[in-house]
Amino acid sequence: MSVKLNINPDQCIACTICVTACPVTAATRKFRGPKMTGPALTRLRKLISDDDNMLDYCSNCKNCDLACPSGVPISTLNMIAKNEYYKTHPRKSKADYMLAHSENMGKMITSIPLGATFANLGMSIGKNLNMMKAMGIAQDAKMPSYANESFYSKFKKFKQVSYPNKVVFFPGCFINYNQPDIGMDLVKVYQKNKIEVIVDEEFVCCGSPMVAGGYLDDAKVNAEKNVSRFKYWTDKGYDIITACTSCGLMLKQEYNELFDIEALETCSKHIYDAMEYLAILADNNELNTDFKFDNKKYMYHAPCHLKVQAIGFPSLDLLRQIPKIQVTEADAGCCGISESYGFKADKHEISMKIGAKLFKKIKSANVDYVLSECGTCRLQIENGSGKKAIHPISILKQAYDK
Amino acid sequence: MKHDLLIIGGGLSGLFAACVASRQGKKVKILSYGESTLTIGSGIIDVLGYDDDGNFVANPIEGIKNVAKHHPYAKVENDVAKKALQTFMEIAKAENYPYMGDVNRNRWIPTALGNFKPTCLTPYSMNSDLLFEKKHILVVGFEGMKDFYADMVAKNLKKDFEEKKSITSLVIKSDLVNSRDLRDISSIDIAFWLEHEEGFNSFKNQLKPYVTPDTVIVLPAVLGLDPNYDLLDRLQQDLKTTFIEVFSLPPAITGLRLNKMLVSYAKKCGVEIIKKAKVIAAEVVDNKCKSVIVESHGRQKKFHADDFILATGGIYGGGLIAGIGSLKEPIFNIDIEVPEVQTDWSDKKLFSKGKQLFAQFGIEVNNNLVPITKDGKQIIDNLKIVGRNLAGYDFCYEKSGNGVVLITAYKAAMDLCKVVR
Repeated sequence: MSVKLNINPDQCIACTICVTACPVTAATRKFRGPKMTGPALTRLRKLISDDDNMLDYCSNCKNCDLACPSGVPISTLNMIAKNEYYKTHPRKSKADYMLAHSENMGKMITSIPLGATFANLGMSIGKNLNMMKAMGIAQDAKMPSYANESFYSKFKKFKQVSYPNKVVFFPGCFINYNQPDIGMDLVKVYQKNKIEVIVDEEFVCCGSPMVAGGYLDDAKVNAEKNVSRFKYWTDKGYDIITACTSCGLMLKQEYNELFDIEALETCSKHIYDAMEYLAILADNNELNTDFKFDNKKYMYHAPCHLKVQAIGFPSLDLLRQIPKIQVTEADAGCCGISESYGFKADKHEISMKIGAKLFKKIKSANVDYVLSECGTCRLQIENGSGKKAIHPISILKQAYDK
Repeated sequence: MKHDLLIIGGGLSGLFAACVASRQGKKVKILSYGESTLTIGSGIIDVLGYDDDGNFVANPIEGIKNVAKHHPYAKVENDVAKKALQTFMEIAKAENYPYMGDVNRNRWIPTALGNFKPTCLTPYSMNSDLLFEKKHILVVGFEGMKDFYADMVAKNLKKDFEEKKSITSLVIKSDLVNSRDLRDISSIDIAFWLEHEEGFNSFKNQLKPYVTPDTVIVLPAVLGLDPNYDLLDRLQQDLKTTFIEVFSLPPAITGLRLNKMLVSYAKKCGVEIIKKAKVIAAEVVDNKCKSVIVESHGRQKKFHADDFILATGGIYGGGLIAGIGSLKEPIFNIDIEVPEVQTDWSDKKLFSKGKQLFAQFGIEVNNNLVPITKDGKQIIDNLKIVGRNLAGYDFCYEKSGNGVVLITAYKAAMDLCKVVR
């Protein structure tokens, strides 16, 4: 079992467009930049073993991929090299493993009675006792708190109406263990559109945090597990939906870039973002638009991992169908968190510097809430701007409630 | 969702066409894949610097009346061309990043080598007239910064001005040099440094002893990454002197600013931009384009519209794909006739005295900018071609880059707005 190491870096014509788009490059001179660390050094890595700890600075936010006109998967080149690097070099902190394997933590905490209460309490005590710092987690970072009951558990208790139209929902760790209500809102919104939601408890973490942390082999194990389940469902004719843009990107794009898994070819085209799926319904005039009015003001932040999916901003198209709603686009670049990057002690400052423009824009805009599909984007926004951040599906759910 | 107009390509021609059409009330969507060459280009608008024989053109808007019949300018009425440039100026002003220049006059602006090139419209920070007005020229570089060498620029300027002016150079020190082993220092790094109070003050203090009101400071384009003149204005006020920015090699900040300015304007007009959307084919029935097909993650999606503009750029921008002895526009499958033998595509000397053949390769269009076959028949009636993928001009030789782009984009957009459906 191995990861793909055969991406040809020579597609890069060294035009430097990615350098102008990289938020980490803008925030620190400690990073050599995507062009250099990605395709340029990949050429050298084919000849000599790598000794470049600079790779650690790449946050895998994918703005370089988004900017690249030549289709070079720059950030994936970085992730592959990072994985190789850590095979022969020590990790910077104990937090790396934990952040990359956050599913283990979620599973453990939600499986014991009152686990979440203690874990969340423990996190704040840990912060006060400088334990977080010792582990390599930034003191000022807002860490996700755990829910008392997982999404899977809540879902089982919910009585759905059965419809012939069904989709399989991949909740991802953040919705399952941290914010299960978003998953429940999704189920209710889909029910309003006469779609039954199927949940498969054999799904595991998509592996995105493992890739970013340099644990590619672990990610590959998860990818194989998930893809075999995707194949099972897509063979039956069902589509898969995700509500976390990082999970979505990982499943339909990064698996393809990183791993050779045969079944992937037939199933990745059936994976949709949950909002994209609804927007397609809207395009075909099949969306239930029986919304009550919503007179609040929102600012929408598009996660980087959504932008790179080539589906535009389906949430904006959908939300604007709600009467009286006011949604503006933040359009202020990366929030800086890039999954768990901003939680790390040595990256937190860079992460906040990257997000500064967005925080400023939110603070100066007179809005009630911020909207974003990505869980850690929302955390970062709340941490940086003080405004509450919500998944757009919850606004749709609210608009259906009468 | 059906749009009035779909534009393929989000570079200068696509963005400008989108701005023009949406101002007229059209519902416009842009499909773009990757950032465009605009983001690393100079951002200055050359209209026409030299004619076919290499003679300098003093009045560009008059000069374009005399181009050869296959040139894109020959397809555009002169008042439309003028209106295109005026509209660009209006948009820049509305976005608080006004451009300067006169469509009746070519100006000479300094280059990063210290020689001059003719151009028409530039940002205000490139007011090269100051160079001829002021007594002292101070060329300012930054320690460790690549692609701009102040002493070389000063030396070359001296050749032009001889003894008429005092020309000196100065190298500014920044704290970026300490970390030089990590990354080259580009104009972007200097701009980051100047955008922070500490860097700005350090820069100002180092300059102070060398400037007078009769000095003009020539420096690479580093005065801020966003489309405004905040840093320039503050510096000119605080130091009571004048500055000229010189566009540098990629990544050049002046192009980045222009890109941000047009994206901001387009969004205000309601233009939707879908990024990373690779258009792989078009659905054409009876000479009419019904939709274009975007492929991502193994899935194809159709985008429908009444009209289409192809603004995907030339060979460098990825709009035309060159093979051995072949050149093709890949979305609409338009073959471009080229010499079979590759060595016949170009003059062996890169900086040859004449136009390069390969530079003039592109899609042949009629006066409506609709692509045509060799015998003049329209290939796709509701498709217009704009910008760099048009045949018949060598922007590098004649200094017409960005001018052809703006003028053809404007014409295409306005012609579509005139059609009543």
